[in-house]
Parts: sequence; structure tokens; C-alpha cells
Amino acid sequence: MKSVVFYFQMHQPRRIKEYRRSEVSHNHDYFWEEKNKEILERIIEKCYVPMTKVLIENDIKSSISISGVLLEQLLDMNSSVIDLLKEYFKSGKGEILGETYYHSLSSIWDEEEFKRQVEKHIDTLSRTFGIIPSTFRNTELIYNDKISQMVKDLGFETIITEGTDEIISKNSPNFIYKTISGLNLFLRNYRLSDDISFRFSNRSWNEYPLFADKYAKWIFMTEGDVINLFMDYETFGEHNWKETGIFDFMRALPNELKKYGIDLFTINEAVKNKGKKYELGINKTISWADTERDLSAWLGNEMQIEAFEMMKTLKNSKNKDLWGLLQTSDHFYYMSTKHFSDQEVHEYFNPYHSPYLAFIYYTNILEDFYKTFLD
Amino acid sequence: MKSISVLGWELPPVFSGGLGIHTMNLYTKLSNFLNINIYVPDIVLPSGYYPFKAITVNLSKYYGSYYRSDDFFDLVQEYNEILIENFNPKDVKLIHAHDWITFKAGVELKNIYHIPLIITVHSTEYDRSGNFNPQKRIMDIEKYGIENADKIITVSNYTKEIIVRNYNANKKKIKTIYNGVNSELYDTGKKDYSLKKKVLYFGRLTSQKGPKFFLEAALKVLNNMKDIKFVIAGEGEKMEELKILAGEYLEKNIIFTGFVKFHVARQLYNDSDVFILPAVSEPFGMTVLESMVSGTPAIISKTTGVGEALKNVLKVDFWDSDLLSEYIISILNYKGLRKTIGENGKIESLKFTWEDAALKTLIVYGDYL
Repeated sequence: MKSVVFYFQMHQPRRIKEYRRSEVSHNHDYFWEEKNKEILERIIEKCYVPMTKVLIENDIKSSISISGVLLEQLLDMNSSVIDLLKEYFKSGKGEILGETYYHSLSSIWDEEEFKRQVEKHIDTLSRTFGIIPSTFRNTELIYNDKISQMVKDLGFETIITEGTDEIISKNSPNFIYKTISGLNLFLRNYRLSDDISFRFSNRSWNEYPLFADKYAKWIFMTEGDVINLFMDYETFGEHNWKETGIFDFMRALPNELKKYGIDLFTINEAVKNKGKKYELGINKTISWADTERDLSAWLGNEMQIEAFEMMKTLKNSKNKDLWGLLQTSDHFYYMSTKHFSDQEVHEYFNPYHSPYLAFIYYTNILEDFYKTFLD
Repeated sequence: MKSISVLGWELPPVFSGGLGIHTMNLYTKLSNFLNINIYVPDIVLPSGYYPFKAITVNLSKYYGSYYRSDDFFDLVQEYNEILIENFNPKDVKLIHAHDWITFKAGVELKNIYHIPLIITVHSTEYDRSGNFNPQKRIMDIEKYGIENADKIITVSNYTKEIIVRNYNANKKKIKTIYNGVNSELYDTGKKDYSLKKKVLYFGRLTSQKGPKFFLEAALKVLNNMKDIKFVIAGEGEKMEELKILAGEYLEKNIIFTGFVKFHVARQLYNDSDVFILPAVSEPFGMTVLESMVSGTPAIISKTTGVGEALKNVLKVDFWDSDLLSEYIISILNYKGLRKTIGENGKIESLKFTWEDAALKTLIVYGDYL
């Protein structure tokens, strides 16, 4: 029997403020609290609360990863989302994944720092939800064999990543594989995932409007054991507003799938119940970001690389937590200067409306950090 | 071919501003499709080969005296009158007048011969006076042209808004067409982004262009960073005042070059880390594109017209020399920033072509041909 495996990513960065050079050495408050609060409150209301309710009320099974950066903001706000998530995880329908606490790029450059961040995340999950995760999701599904070895060494059993064109040309994304390090490996089915996350409310798409019965049929016609639908949680209610019918789609989907004998599994259930294919080595670093599916969303131009290198030099600071918050991948994402449609997505998220200003504010802050927290 | 009569002021190689460059480039392209006659006064004798017909209007009794503003106004009056007398209406389907210096003749010729009139507003008295004490008699002529033209072309939406707001222009008559840039003249190949410690201002030294704010920012940068050179290229009425403001830094860190020829300008763009245009009110800002074509990042005021069509520049309020100085320091400190703005800016600037401007002008003409 075929199963659908949903994984949703919950993450909101702590965006830095429009920090002026004149503030260096005087002001050590780096974050744009007002903006962060405004955005987060909107997302809680439009997405986190209604979507979590939809999952609970319709017995929809899924695996969810919540970045530590988001979790601490939700805890600070005493948000009702935490209670809803507790209820969902307690019901056994929802499962939680591990990741780097700061939603960072540490996996690609510093194993020690990566380990610190993953352990900090596990610690927070266990204190908040009483759960120790066994599946790992790296920032934006960044992956290679070396990363999977580090993840294995941290005690995880399963890891997920992108099914890039290069991988799926030889290996169907709809099966569970083994990594060289010995972990179970899930590959995202990007076509079917993007039908929901990118195309659902696109009126110029020839399949618009997408209803659950049609989508269930597509899944039925897809060969494999597991259909891995991996996407941002914000897909529901934020990127696609309630008015597009996205919640109705999710409410209807379990029954439509049942008609074809397809059920929903969490990642751990799938690991328990499905066979594993052969060992799959992935040497090149991949991710689920942009059309390139590599690191270029964060390190695609010289400005991003310069900012990233400068951040690295602050490793020996006295304030590890603050340094961690400055490692969040979004800071670098805003500095992207790609062309065409990928850049539109970068700009949609960029609160500064200019990659150059994103760089200037960020490096101003690093200059202050250097003067303040490094001996 | 259908004939268009253009009322102009200057043509390369003799010119003092962007109007001559614009006239030359635009009508070189348009002459592929239309018979173009361009009237210009003989005070700046056009020379060389043109793909269109250049007709000189004899004004030689004023020769050489037009720098004093009273005389200049009289000279323009005289030019317009003689232009009307010398005008040949045969087969002319359309008159296209450029800036207030030709608007009066444009409107009167339209009335006499019933030929449709298009005007292009390259700048207004409001801009040129730096928003300070504009001359009413010039604004009256601009208003006269704006009211009587059948269609108006502006070089930016910024200018479109100025003429709607200050001259009560009818929005529906106005079409914005951006200037092109002669990229082959300023593209010096792959730019080297290692630090040159050089910051460039290039433009006339008038209140309109905001050189004072450049100088203020320079002094603020020099408080933080030594041995940076601020080059002020160009000449104009504010030169002496600026030199006094430069104080102890004059010559050592703040360098006035005076008037520069094309090949020097091209070298200056290429040799600088960043180009600054803090104009109080600039309808377009051709130098911004020239700098970008050469790969040099630009910081411009929000009141610079071309900025509305550009993503790969930094923008400040013209008066905000604090922020301007901060942006300059960031650009000097970070090679990655210089290179990323510079390279993306170059790609963006190459989209501004005279072919495109000519095509859009042809579409405006289309209604009358």
C-alpha cells in the first residue's frame, strides 16, 4: 500500500533591524522586534492556529520541524500555538523533527558548532514537548554524505532531503533509501509538493483550480511506497490565503486518498512499515532552495560570501547565543541578487527591499558585535 | 518618408549638457524611419556628419555672451523669433520641441501652420533652480508649452509628477520615456574591484546637483577614514564656495578637477570605488547610468529620476549626508558589496538603450503620422 508522508517546516527568523553605522559601539540591540512581532502575529493568526486545528480535527498525520528561533519567539509570546502543537504531538498523529536551533548553515562549515546547535534544539524540544526527535531535517534540506554522517553521529535514525532532478533521474523519490552513513533517507517529491505550495493558487496554471479529488488521483497514479510532500507550514493560510480554499483542500484530502486506499503516515511510521531500497550516496551539496537546489540562495554572490566569512570570524565571542542568532540563514537569503523568478521570491521575503541594505545592516551589526563581544 | 521638424538647442560635439547628447542619439535612430530636420542656433556651430538634416538659425550677433543669465534669456527669445521666421513647413507632419528654450516657437508654429506639437521636458526651472527661487518668466514659458502641446514626453515619472504638480499638466498627455546610455563609450571591460580609495562626484557645480551634500558627506567620511580621495569633477558657480568648505582637506583629500573631457570622465568612472549624485532635483541623471556601465556602484538621491527604474543603486535623501557618508564607508569597507552592486548595476544599466527610447518615441509619433 502506498502512503503519503507530509513534512511541514515552521520557521520565522529574528530579522535584524535597519541598524545604522552610527549605532556601532553604542547600541547592542540588533533585532527588529516590532516587525518580527507584527509578522509573527499575522502568521499565527492566518496559518499556525488554523492549520494546526485542521490537522487535529481531521486526524491528518504529519511530521513537523520547528526551528528553535521560532520556538523561543512563540514561547516568549506565550502563544496558544504551543498548546495546540502539544495537543497534536500528544495525539500521536504529529511527529517532531530535529534541526539546528538557529536555522543556520553551520552544517557546511563547522561540525562543532553544528553539533552545539542541534543539541540545543533537542534540549528545547525535550523541555517544551517532552520529545526527543529521531528524524533530522537540516536547514532548507541542505544535504550531502558528510552532513548525514554528522547527523548519524548525533544519534538520529532518519534524514530527509530534496529529490533533485539529478537524483530522481536515476532514483525515484517515492521510496525510502539508506544513506552511506546508515540512516534512512527520504527524498522530497518536488513536483507534487510544489503543486500545493507554489501552484495551488496560481490562476495561470493549467490545472487550476486544484481540488482534493484530482490531487488524490495524481498520487494514486504515481508509483512508489511513499509520496513525500515536504513544504513550509506557511503554505497554508499565509502564502495561500484561506480564501484560496487551501484549508478546505487539506480537510478533504484524507478522505479522497482513502478512496484509493492511500493512507497518511508520519516519517517514523513509514520507516517502520516500508521497505528500504539501496544505499544512495550524495556527494554534492544540495538543498530545496531556488531552482538551482544548491547553496546559491545564501552564498550565491560575493557580498553574501563576504558577510558569511565575517560571521565565521566571530566564533570565539563571549555571546554564543547572540552569535547563533546572527547565523540564521534568512540574513543571507535577503542578500541574494539572483535574476528572474527566484529573485521575486527573495524579494517577497526581504523586509529591507534591497539586498544591499540587508548586507549593510548585517555587517554594521557584525562590526558592533566584534567590538562588543570579542576580546 | 514623412518629415518631422525638431526644435533643438545644441548638437555634439559642441554641447554643455545632456540635451545635445539626447538629440544626437535619439534622432540618429529615428532617421532610419523618418525625415528629420533639426533646427539649432548657430552660436554653437554644429560640425561633423549627422544622419539627419541640421539647419542652423543665424544668431551670431549674440555670439559668446550667453553665460550671463539676462543675456541668455534674451538670446532664447531671439532664437525663437528667428526660428519662426526661418521655419519651412513643407511636408512637416509633426513638430517636436525640446525644453523651454524652444517651447515658444513650437507653440506658435503649431498655431500658424496647424501642425501637431510634441514637447519633451528634459528639465524644468523648478529642477534647475535647485528648488530655490525659480525664475517666473521661464516657468511661464514652460507652462505655455505644457498647456499647448498635443503630447508631452518626460524623461522620468519623477519629472512627470513635477509638471503635473507645479505646471498643472494634463496627466493623460504625458508619456515617460527613459534616456538611453551609450554603453560602448563607458564600458571598459571587466572592472577591478580592489580598493582605490577614491569617491567621485561628476557634474556641474550648481545647487541643483547637490555638490554641497557630497562635500558634507566627504568631511564625515574623512573623520573616520584617512587617505580617501574625494574627486569633484566639473565646473560651475558653486566651485569657490565648495573649496572654502573643503578647508584643510582641499587638495590633499578633496580634489577639484575643473571641466573634464570625455576620455578623462571615462577614466574617472573606472578609477573610482563609488559614484555619488546627491541632486536636489534631477529629472533623469545620465551620469548615473554612465557610472553603472563602467561597473562603478552609485549612490544617488531619491530625487534623481532614473533611480525610479533602478534596483542596483543605493538611494538617500539628498540632504542626508549622514546616511550618505555611512553608505560610502560601507562600500569602501566591503569589496563584496562593491563588486555585487557594480556587476549587477552594469547589467541593469545596459537595458537603457537609445533604440528603446527611439521605439517608444515612434509610438508617440504614431498617432500623428
